[in-house]
Amino acid sequence: MGYPDMSDETAQGARSNQTKDDLSGQTFWGRLAGWTPYRLLIGLATASPRRQFLVLAALPIVWVLTQHLGPMLQMLRVSLTDAYPVAPGVEQHFTLDNYARFFGDRIFWQPFFRTLIFAGVFTFCTLILTYPVAYFLARHVSRKNQMLFLLLLLVPFWVGEIVRTYAIMILLGNTGAVNQLLKWIGLIDRPIPFMYTSFSMGVGIVYLTALYMLLPLYSALEKLPKSLNEAAADLGASAWTRFRRVTLPLTIEGISSGCTLVFLISTGFYATPVLLGGPSTTVFAETIAGFFHVAGDEWPTGSAFATIMFFAALVLTGTFQKLMNALRKGDSK
Amino acid sequence: MTRGNRIFLSCIYWAFVLYVFVPLILMVLMGFKDSKFIGFPIRSWTLDWYTGVLGNTEVLSAFGYSVAIAVLSTLISVAVGTWIAVLLEGRKFFGRTAVFGLTVLPALVPGIISAIAFRIYARWLGIEPGMGAIIWAHAVHNVPFVALVVMARLSTLPKSQIEAARDLGADPVITFMRITLPYLVPAILGASIFCLLLSFDDFVRSFFLGGYDPTLPVLIFAKLKSGMSPEINAIATVALVLTAAIGIWAERFTRRLNKD
Repeated sequence: MGYPDMSDETAQGARSNQTKDDLSGQTFWGRLAGWTPYRLLIGLATASPRRQFLVLAALPIVWVLTQHLGPMLQMLRVSLTDAYPVAPGVEQHFTLDNYARFFGDRIFWQPFFRTLIFAGVFTFCTLILTYPVAYFLARHVSRKNQMLFLLLLLVPFWVGEIVRTYAIMILLGNTGAVNQLLKWIGLIDRPIPFMYTSFSMGVGIVYLTALYMLLPLYSALEKLPKSLNEAAADLGASAWTRFRRVTLPLTIEGISSGCTLVFLISTGFYATPVLLGGPSTTVFAETIAGFFHVAGDEWPTGSAFATIMFFAALVLTGTFQKLMNALRKGDSK
Repeated sequence: MTRGNRIFLSCIYWAFVLYVFVPLILMVLMGFKDSKFIGFPIRSWTLDWYTGVLGNTEVLSAFGYSVAIAVLSTLISVAVGTWIAVLLEGRKFFGRTAVFGLTVLPALVPGIISAIAFRIYARWLGIEPGMGAIIWAHAVHNVPFVALVVMARLSTLPKSQIEAARDLGADPVITFMRITLPYLVPAILGASIFCLLLSFDDFVRSFFLGGYDPTLPVLIFAKLKSGMSPEINAIATVALVLTAAIGIWAERFTRRLNKD
């Protein structure tokens, strides 16, 4: 048998000690493997590769269907009913009225389009703001320091949505830091009303989502070999041309996934627009939430609106990704 | 690369660092202001707001509630996410793409829509708004992150180790517990910390699925709606210090584990 002899054991230390214990069936695992009920169970579960797969796959498949897909399907179903939850003695009917309501009233579709436009603009701002930062990190910081520089940016992003939104409120308020600073310099006499505008909302949302843009950009830029840029430089390309013809096309994947992520996240914010926005910047999340704060019979309309928003966001980001893909393929030819 | 270019970019980087740090630093400072009125300049300083928070049972119970929810939901997310990752990684089967797509779905649904969908589903399942509902929603929402992180680590596990264990007579369960799982520990720990922070910081799901007891972010939101006060700064700072500390510790810890 393959028992290690004593000299081997001292040479290999603890590891072979463990092996010896295993073989003599003294460890927990050894005893478990020899325990009859366990062996019967394992024998049953692994009788055939097919059964083994089923045992492994059952829980994940049931979970994703009932927990990941289930809530979305139930939302879709409720959006097609005329009353939910159903009161006793009332019959539930299927209807498209909830969707018709969306198009019927300006106070519904206006926040919807505003949300999409805001999300698009904020995503673009985030991209412009974080691209140079990611570029600097990936290209100009030595490999040893990269993680440190990145960590410095990560720390504030561990802090929650509400706390960071509040920090922006303090920054931009009428007696906030920015206004006081401008006053102190002498640029303004009375405070600029930053708060409760699309500007304050934009600052807040960019602040909250910047990291989700930065990380994909950074990983795309980091993978890019420096030699490509050097080759382009040797061939006489200017810095701008090198950026436009080499760096940018080769980081499209990072741009595309960063933008998709930030767009989806910024359409879903609720607390930030409530706290930083005003009556003229009502976003669709607030409209949807309104249907769930009042009596239950508004749930179908709220569900319909959430469904509209979800599909709109999916279609837009899907189209965007297709476009970026086409752009990348077109460029590599 | 030209030198000017490099200096310009480094200025942008440090400006960005200022942009992400200054609001938080100002918020922490404001918690020391000796006045009920939020705003600059701060003329006199006090520790009262901070000591007040430490003796405030409402804040402390919200804090404990948030921590309990974070821990319990993370346990569920990690177990399910790891299981899904083991199923998906390196295995080809009919419907794998669909299962993968459904796995990442909760991470892609915008916050408000996900909260609404969970609220409706919880009602359908008969789960009352409250701790159970929040734990469930956080757990489901965090599964994709665990699955993705664990899958990435699993893809680097040398197949030969598994084969060796099987050849020596270990059954799949013991092979998993003694070979795969120890190898996955850094990924699982990293994902757990990420889930803890996501859950602790989450507002929208806790808000729509919560009962009468508020989680810490919901409490801060409720207080903010009734007006700003240095007390909120003190509460937010406590939350900030805790999350940042856990984040930094986790970052160092997982890096050390990955190096081994």
